[in-house]
Amino acid sequence: MTMIEGIPEDLAHVDLDEKRAILDLDASLYPVEALYGAAYVFIDRCYVFLDRPAPQKLRIVVTPKSLEGGEAQLRQVVGELANELVSAAWRHQITQENRARIEAVTMQAISGAMGPPSLDDLEDFDFTDEAFEDPLGIAMSWEEKYAKKSDPAEETAAKGEEE
Amino acid sequence: MQLLDLRGQLDRTSQAFFRFRRLGPERTLITNAEGRWLILSDADFAAYATGAVVEGSELYRRLSDGNFLRATWDEAKARDMIAARKQFLGYGPNLHVMVVTLRCNETCVYCHASRADMDATHTDMTPEIAEKAVDLAFMSTSPSITIEFQGGEPLVRYDLVKHIIEYAKAKNETAGKTVEFTMVSNLSLMDDEKLDYLLEHKVQMCTSIDGPKDLHDKQRILPTLSAYDAASSWIEKINRAYVDRGLDPSLYHVEALVTTTKGALGRAEEIVDTYAALGCRALFLRPIDPFGFASKTAKMVEYPRADYLRFYAEATDYILELNRQGTQMIERYAAIFLTKILRGEDPNFLDLRSPAGAGISMLAYSYDGDVYTCDEGRMLAAQGDQTFRIGNVFESSYRDLVGHPTVRAMVIASNLDSQPDCVDCTYNPYCGIQTTHNHKTQGSIFGRMRESNVCAVHKGIQDYLFGKLADGEPHVLEAFERWTTVRAREHFLHDGAGSADGDP
Repeated sequence: MTMIEGIPEDLAHVDLDEKRAILDLDASLYPVEALYGAAYVFIDRCYVFLDRPAPQKLRIVVTPKSLEGGEAQLRQVVGELANELVSAAWRHQITQENRARIEAVTMQAISGAMGPPSLDDLEDFDFTDEAFEDPLGIAMSWEEKYAKKSDPAEETAAKGEEE
Repeated sequence: MQLLDLRGQLDRTSQAFFRFRRLGPERTLITNAEGRWLILSDADFAAYATGAVVEGSELYRRLSDGNFLRATWDEAKARDMIAARKQFLGYGPNLHVMVVTLRCNETCVYCHASRADMDATHTDMTPEIAEKAVDLAFMSTSPSITIEFQGGEPLVRYDLVKHIIEYAKAKNETAGKTVEFTMVSNLSLMDDEKLDYLLEHKVQMCTSIDGPKDLHDKQRILPTLSAYDAASSWIEKINRAYVDRGLDPSLYHVEALVTTTKGALGRAEEIVDTYAALGCRALFLRPIDPFGFASKTAKMVEYPRADYLRFYAEATDYILELNRQGTQMIERYAAIFLTKILRGEDPNFLDLRSPAGAGISMLAYSYDGDVYTCDEGRMLAAQGDQTFRIGNVFESSYRDLVGHPTVRAMVIASNLDSQPDCVDCTYNPYCGIQTTHNHKTQGSIFGRMRESNVCAVHKGIQDYLFGKLADGEPHVLEAFERWTTVRAREHFLHDGAGSADGDP
């Protein structure tokens, strides 16, 4: 393991033999959404592994798909990832604080652009209650799924009485 | 004075919402959510920050007029101004870019569109695709639409340009929209017959002039001819034709853009002089983008954005000096920002608003019928990145396109109230970000503004403009006033059903 110039060793280090960099993060500083968001930005350039080595620790291991720049490239990846993490964490906080305003503007923008549906749009719209096929019964209520099935014989008898 | 000097004295009850930015000694800019602004001296800012503004004082009146004081905060005044700035949200795409071919007879070192060779006829749009694209454009909820011909070089497919104009005008007989046509061309394939047709059908023409002849010809290579001579001779001819038709040359002229490369830096005055000599009344000093060939030739054409900002200031200072001497000329970047700053209106420049216009205010139709959120989206597609493809003219309905998840994501990502840095930035009411640029340079549509070239340019230009406003030189303020006076170019408007505009 080698430390990266300018970056604290207990936060990030590189393994040049394995061509990878490792970032250890304090879990209380980064929401997991920010971790996913920041890590995802790198998947076109790197293989990214997430881990929780200890209860209050998060770990990101990044392995560039092509390591032509050696240690300098790993340093750049680590630096960018660290900045993206801070950005994603703050953005997560901002979007929670400003959610109503962001949703209102987005809704106004999209509805303003789309306009009201035409008759053709309405004709194509699926108004049935069955929104999608659900062979595993995932969308069924607990009562529907686990209610005691009625006895078919009793059902037939009841039907006969009605007639 | 630093804000730290006021620690322990800060008041948190007397101010209405505001953001601030130190512009220099004795100059602190404050803005509020609706985009009103004031530049305060150190003493005034200290009084404001510590709640020591005396009621009835001149400072109190300025702050109150600007809606910066909680005691006099006027909700309706704030709401109305925000609504005026966000008026564009009520309508769908008004800009429809038609990439009629990728073929081009010029080779530009930075070609953002990744042009194709002249024999690459497979990159031509068919009339069927063009008609479908026009049909979609006319489905927009916007009462006015602009069809912009792009390429490649659109004059390579002059036949299709004519077909689109005639198809759109016929369609507008029943649609009744206000339609404009613009063409982005290097002008080298222009001839008198084409020009007569384009003038008769009121097509606005836009071209590129990168600077003096040697610079332009070095960056834009035209086999056997000088690209500069070809463009400049037609610019002069078209501008003369407008005058011959009795049109005001300060309003009607060929629009030309500068693509600022490394070679342009240090030649600011020469570039401005070139435009003035051509009779061009407007320059748009755009920095280079990382799309297309520019991503491959970056070492040759790119530069640090601090160098660009020095170039921008030098060029704009010189334009202002020419204005003082009586040559009326504007810089477009400045005019866009200043319209927001001084008029409280949004000129609807799609890359400089929040949220940006991709998908909701513009669509780009590629030669093969694929539809993109914006021009840059199709540029990235030409490099193999289909992130911003939202459909195809044969498969997608209008509502599929503008309601596409990619469009929604871009609206959210370009909302400055969802962006770190932007959310607290003093320039928030006037600014905008480019999600395609973020995606290309930083790997996500959100990007990181502190590391973004676009953010550096936008902040730098606004620092320059507010610096000028703070200096308050009368000839500069007078020029800024003119630059933000919007005069509609009514000659270029085609009205549909019921119109009496006498279109040919």
